[in-house]
Amino acid sequence: MTKSLSLLIAIGLLTGPAMASNDIIWARYGDIDSLDPHRTTSTLSMQVWNQIYEPLLARDAEGNIGPNLAKDYRVSDDGTQVTFVLHEGIECHDGSEFTAEDVIYTYQRAFSETNPSNTQSAWGPIESVNAVDAQTVSFSFSEPFGAFIPFMADPFASMICKSNEQSLASFGSTTAIGTGAWQLVQWIKGDRIELARNEAYVNHGRMAGNAGPAKMDKLIIKVMPEAQARLAALQTGEVHIAEPPLESVSVVENHPHLNLLSAPNTGQNVFIEFAVSRPPFNDVRARQAVAYAIDPDMALDIVFEGLVEREHCTVARGVMGNDQDYCKRIGYQYDPAKAKQLLAELGYDKRNPMDVKIMTWTDGSRDKLLQVFQSQLKQVGIEVSIEIMDIGSLNARVKQENHITEGKGSMDLMGWSWYDPDILYQLWHSPGAYDGYNSPELDALLKQTRLETNPEKRLEIVQQVQAYLIEQAVHVPIYTPGWVWLYGVNDSVSGLKFEPFNQPIFTDVVVN
Amino acid sequence: MTTYLLQRLMSAALTVWITTLAICFLIHLVPGDPVQIMYAQSATTSPEQLEQIRHSLGLDRSIIHQYIIYMGKLLQGDMGVTIRGQQSVAELLLLRLPNTLLLTLSALTLAIVFGGVSGFIAAYKQGQWPDKVLMTGTVVGISVPPFWLGLIVLSLFSVELGWFPVAGQGLGSLVLPAVTLAACQAAVIGRIVRSTMIDVFAQDYLLTARAKGLSKPKVLLRHALRSGLIPIVSVLGMQFAYMMGGAIVIEYVFSWNGVGRLAIQAIFQRDYPLIQGFVLCFSMIVVLVSVAMDLLYAFLDPRIRQE
Repeated sequence: MTKSLSLLIAIGLLTGPAMASNDIIWARYGDIDSLDPHRTTSTLSMQVWNQIYEPLLARDAEGNIGPNLAKDYRVSDDGTQVTFVLHEGIECHDGSEFTAEDVIYTYQRAFSETNPSNTQSAWGPIESVNAVDAQTVSFSFSEPFGAFIPFMADPFASMICKSNEQSLASFGSTTAIGTGAWQLVQWIKGDRIELARNEAYVNHGRMAGNAGPAKMDKLIIKVMPEAQARLAALQTGEVHIAEPPLESVSVVENHPHLNLLSAPNTGQNVFIEFAVSRPPFNDVRARQAVAYAIDPDMALDIVFEGLVEREHCTVARGVMGNDQDYCKRIGYQYDPAKAKQLLAELGYDKRNPMDVKIMTWTDGSRDKLLQVFQSQLKQVGIEVSIEIMDIGSLNARVKQENHITEGKGSMDLMGWSWYDPDILYQLWHSPGAYDGYNSPELDALLKQTRLETNPEKRLEIVQQVQAYLIEQAVHVPIYTPGWVWLYGVNDSVSGLKFEPFNQPIFTDVVVN
Repeated sequence: MTTYLLQRLMSAALTVWITTLAICFLIHLVPGDPVQIMYAQSATTSPEQLEQIRHSLGLDRSIIHQYIIYMGKLLQGDMGVTIRGQQSVAELLLLRLPNTLLLTLSALTLAIVFGGVSGFIAAYKQGQWPDKVLMTGTVVGISVPPFWLGLIVLSLFSVELGWFPVAGQGLGSLVLPAVTLAACQAAVIGRIVRSTMIDVFAQDYLLTARAKGLSKPKVLLRHALRSGLIPIVSVLGMQFAYMMGGAIVIEYVFSWNGVGRLAIQAIFQRDYPLIQGFVLCFSMIVVLVSVAMDLLYAFLDPRIRQE
C-alpha cells in the first residue's frame, strides 16, 4: 500500500503543472450555457461564441462601427431598407463559402416561429430579408429602426453558417460552425471548451492587428469556480489568463509575473428592479423607499474598494444618454428619513416591517453588496432575504416573479450590457425582457426612441425615458462595471485585446 | 449469516426506496410552479410548450401516478434530461462518476493507511510523545474545515512549492484533492485504531504468542494489527459516505470534474432533474458501499456471523 502511495506521489511530482506550449489557457468562474447565440444572453457564453462566429459589422476601440463580414452597407433614404455587401471568399469552418444565404439563414433562425432568438426584438421590425446576389443581402423594415446598424456589430447578431442545418440537433453543444478565428474542437460541459485556430481565417474588421489566422494553436477556456484556486493557477502559470477574486486584486497587481488588465468600455450597468405584479412593489412609494434607504456609495466603497464606479444612469457609460450629472440630479440620494416616511404611508412600521426578498447572480462580490444593502434596508424597517443563483436562473426567476400576484415582494440586482439606449426599449417596452413594469406612457416614449433618427432629438427622448424610469423607481442604477471585467494575465502573454463590451480577442495573442 | 445478509439487503433496499420517494416529491417542495421555474429562462417557451413539458414530466397527474411513472422510467435507467442543454441526466452522471470515485477511493486509501499507521503507533507508544503528537494532529485534522484546508494546501504545494498543479484531471492533479479529502477521515480512523489497539495490546493472547517464541514485530503485525483493524471496517461505510459529501466541496476547490461539482452547478442553475439524479446516485452509492462494508465486517468477524 505504502509503495503504491509513494509511486502515486512520485507520478504526481513528475507530471506536475503541464500545458502544451502553443495553447492559450483562460480560466473563468463558470461555464457557458450554449454556443447558439440565439439561446443565451450570458457574458460567459457570448465571450466564447464571439470567437467562433462574427457579426456583419465590427467596432473599433472607440466603439465606431466599420466593416467586417460585410465590406459595405447602405441605408435607404427613408431608413426602411438596409443592404449589406459581403466580402468574397470568406470560409465557414466546414469549408463552405459564406454568402447571403448564410445571412438569411441566421435571420430565419432568429425569427423562428417555434423557437426564436432570445434577443429577437433587438433585430427590429424586419419585414423581409432577400439575397440580391450571392454577396449582397437586403433587409426591409416596416418602419425606420435606428438601432439596427449598431446591432449588426454586436455578437448577438453573429452570423451562423447554413451548414449547421446538417447537424441541427447538436448545434450549440457539440457543433458550432461560424466564420470566426477559432473553431470548436470540443466542449466538456462544466470543465472546459477547446477551440482550435481557423487556418482559413481572414480578419476583415475585428480589432486584432493580425490580418490572418490566430498566432497560437489552441484556445482552452477552463471552468475554475473557486476564485482562490483560479488565482493560484494564475500564479503558478498553469493558466495564462483568469479573473482574479475581487478581494485579491492586489495580489495580481503586486505579483512580479502577473499583470492586471481591465476591459475598457464594458457597457455594463448593474441596477435594481422590482416585481410590480403584486404588493408592495406595485406601489411606486415602496420602490422609492428602497431607493432612498440604500446608500450605494458607501456600500460600493466597502465591498469593491474603488474597483467599480457608482452609476446614476439607466444606460451604460459610452452610450447615448449616459450623463452622470443629469442622472444624478434626477436620481435618489440616501435619505433614510424619507424612506421611513414612505413606508409609514404604506402602513409599515417596526412592528409590521416590509418583508421582501432580493435576488442576484453568483460571483463578483454581489452577495456581499446585497448584505450591506440588507443591513441598510433593515434600518428603515425593510426585512430582506437574499437569494443567489446563476445568471440564467436569475433571468428565469425575475420573469417568473413578474407573473406571481401573491406572496412576498421581490426585487433583484440585475446586470445588462448593451451598446445603445435601445436596451431601455428591450427591458421596459411592454411586455419587456422580463414581463416587468410597463405603462402606455412609457411605451409611447420608448417607441419614439426607435423611430427618431436625428441624434439630438433622439437624445432628448432618451433622457425623458430615463427620467420616467428613475422617477417611477423602475430601474434604479447602482454601479459599473459589474462582472468579469478584470483579467489577471501572466506576463508571458502578449497581444490580448478587448473589443468594446468586454469581448476579449485572442487572434494576436502570443504566449512565450 | 444468510439472515444477516438478507436483513442488510432488505434495509438497503428500503433506504433506496425511501430516497426515490423523497426525490420524486422533492420537486413539489419547490415554491411556485416547477415547470415555470425550470423553463422561464427560455424567453421563448410558449404556454402550450410549458403544458407539454408539464405533461411529459407527468406533473399534470396525481402524485401517486407521478411516482409510478418516475419509478417506471428509473427502472429503465431513465433519469430524465437536464434543463440546461437537454442532456440525459444518467449519461451526464455516469460520465463524471468515475472521476468522483477515483477521488474518494484514493482519499479513502490514504485515510486508511495514514489513519491506521498513526493510530497503531500512538497506541504502541501510548502516553509518550509520539502518541501526544499524533493525537494532537488528529484533533487538528478533525477540526479543520476541508474547504479551508484545500485552499491552504493549494497555496503551499502548488503556488509556493510548485509541486502539484492547481487543477486538472491527471494523476498529478489527484494528489492534493485526495490528501485534503483524506485528512479529516484519517484523523477519525487514527483515533479509532488507537483506542482499539490499546485494548488489543492488553489482551493475553499477545503474551501467549510472545511466550510461544514469536518475534515482537511478528506478534504486532500478525496478531495485534489484524484484530485491531477490524473496527476500521465497521466505520468505513460511514466514512465513505462522509467522503462522498466532502468530495462536493473538494471538487469545487480543486476544479476536479466530478459529480460533486456538477451538483453545485446544478443547484445554482436550479436544474431540478439533475439535482434529483445526483441525490439518487449519491445515496445509492453510499447505501451500496455501507452494505458491502457490513458484509465485509461480518466476514472478518465471526461473532457477527453467529449473531
